[in-house]
Amino acid sequence: MKKRSFKITTLILLSLLCISLILYLSWGSYKISPLDIVKTILGQGTKMQNAAILNNRIPRMLVGISVGIALSTAGALLQTITKNELADSGIIGINAGAAAAAVIFISLKTNNYYSELGDLSIYVLPFMAILGAGVSATIIYFLSSRDRVRPKRLLLIGLGINAGLNAFITFFTFRGGVSDYNRVLIWISGSLWGAGWNYAKIIMPLVIIMFTIVLINYKKLDVLNLSDEHAICLGLNLNKERKKFLTFVVILSGGATAFAGNVGFIGLISPHIARKLVGPYHKNFLIISAIISVVIILFADVVSRNLFSPIEIPVGITISILGVPYFIYLMMKEK
Amino acid sequence: MEAISVKNLSVAYEDNLIIDNMNLSIPKGEISIIIGANGCGKSTLLKTIARIIKPKSGEIRINEKNIKKQKEKHIATQIAFLPQGPICPSGITVRELVSYGRFPHQKMIGGLSIHDKEIMEWAIDETGLKDFEDREIDSLSGGQRQRAWIAMTLAQETDIIMLDEPTTYLDMSYQLEVLEVLERLNKKNNITVVIVLHELNNACRFASNIIGLKQGKIICIGNPTEVITTENLREIYGIDVKLQLSENKKYPICVEYELMRG
Repeated sequence: MKKRSFKITTLILLSLLCISLILYLSWGSYKISPLDIVKTILGQGTKMQNAAILNNRIPRMLVGISVGIALSTAGALLQTITKNELADSGIIGINAGAAAAAVIFISLKTNNYYSELGDLSIYVLPFMAILGAGVSATIIYFLSSRDRVRPKRLLLIGLGINAGLNAFITFFTFRGGVSDYNRVLIWISGSLWGAGWNYAKIIMPLVIIMFTIVLINYKKLDVLNLSDEHAICLGLNLNKERKKFLTFVVILSGGATAFAGNVGFIGLISPHIARKLVGPYHKNFLIISAIISVVIILFADVVSRNLFSPIEIPVGITISILGVPYFIYLMMKEK
Repeated sequence: MEAISVKNLSVAYEDNLIIDNMNLSIPKGEISIIIGANGCGKSTLLKTIARIIKPKSGEIRINEKNIKKQKEKHIATQIAFLPQGPICPSGITVRELVSYGRFPHQKMIGGLSIHDKEIMEWAIDETGLKDFEDREIDSLSGGQRQRAWIAMTLAQETDIIMLDEPTTYLDMSYQLEVLEVLERLNKKNNITVVIVLHELNNACRFASNIIGLKQGKIICIGNPTEVITTENLREIYGIDVKLQLSENKKYPICVEYELMRG
């Protein structure tokens, strides 16, 4: 595919983003026209509109946007570290590590996965999830490196760890009986159900800070994308930088998983589409990848909320339904 | 003056000793070409100097300073290395690739400075890639691609450049193209060039200093007219060669060669 200019691509994507934002805020069991959305945001909405937009849809949208950016950035980083376009924090078990830690934490606190988490728990949960993601990333890292990290091995070991952790989560939740199992399954598949301001106020700053830090490091990521030999010659401390970026991956994907569960595939496909559109120059491609992930997650969540309303399907499942064919397409195209 | 000096260097892959207690000094401002049979340690030597392989023992000095006592980025502003068969991220343009060469000079925050852009411009001009700078690397021919990598190496703005078999897989005209670019840089900008090369006649033509290796040991070192002799080549490659002087009488040419008998 021919590389289009960065500006045109950005413009097209930004208009797509606007459409998805409007659609997200207006479509629901209570429909609101775009004009009313603006009014409501400006503080002139009716009681119903205020409740739907300000207390429900906007916070949920913000959490969705944060989760999308976090996972796509984590995926992009992993793809660069491993030099493999099939890497993603959901595939190599980092999200699963976060999910396992979160499930254990919630089970210890309460047996009711749907009940709102207490104030303290909301702050502790992301820490636990990031810790879980960190533990699984550390295990993967050490198992895949003897004298240096071998990207291929990292990917394969990650796949194994992912399977193991998912089995563990299933086993853990199975003990709780069938009803709990079903509930946790929804959370494990990745869902924005119940995401309110209390979630948004934690994940938003986290993602804004991390995304900025990653963007500042774009030059190092570019060099990391060359062969290891070249990166060393250009004066990059390979192992140090790999560990650093892996830590960023852990924080981003752990934070996202803490509030939205294990949303798969978005970290795989967004960077991939972005690279197709604007090439692998990180400064451009990280931004494009983030915008794409937001568009995907918002569209997917609108579908999740409304298609089978009043029953809601987890957004992770919607994305997977879209993602799996794309993943297979990737595999088929691999030379 | 020495650009690179190596003292008592031993390099091993696990228990397999590749370079055995080597002492070598590579002069500044010359083109040094390393020759030797497959597996003699040529590439290993360059990779060790480039810090890709950690030596078992010994000391490496670049511009008369021990590399262990300098920061990685600082060394990268003095010596550049183009490995054999470099891998390129797909979809990248010539200009973007060349900009990566500026990495060791850049600060953590901020883009390309005016000086960065000037150097990139110079590197692209020197390698004759002006018309291709916005083309993707994947769409270039072998010779152009190799020149793009050399442009990136030049953009590193170092006074020493090492290249590991930069002409492999290129046809004869491309080989000359690449070597002539390097020769011009050496003459015009006084850049020290170190190349691992397989083609003996090209080596004799372009080198002012030839280093012959065998099993991790130096067999001969010096001007091609002095060190490219039938005895040395028999020692290095195990072949019998017929040598004669080039038409301008400046360097030896190998006209015929055969495997040694007995």
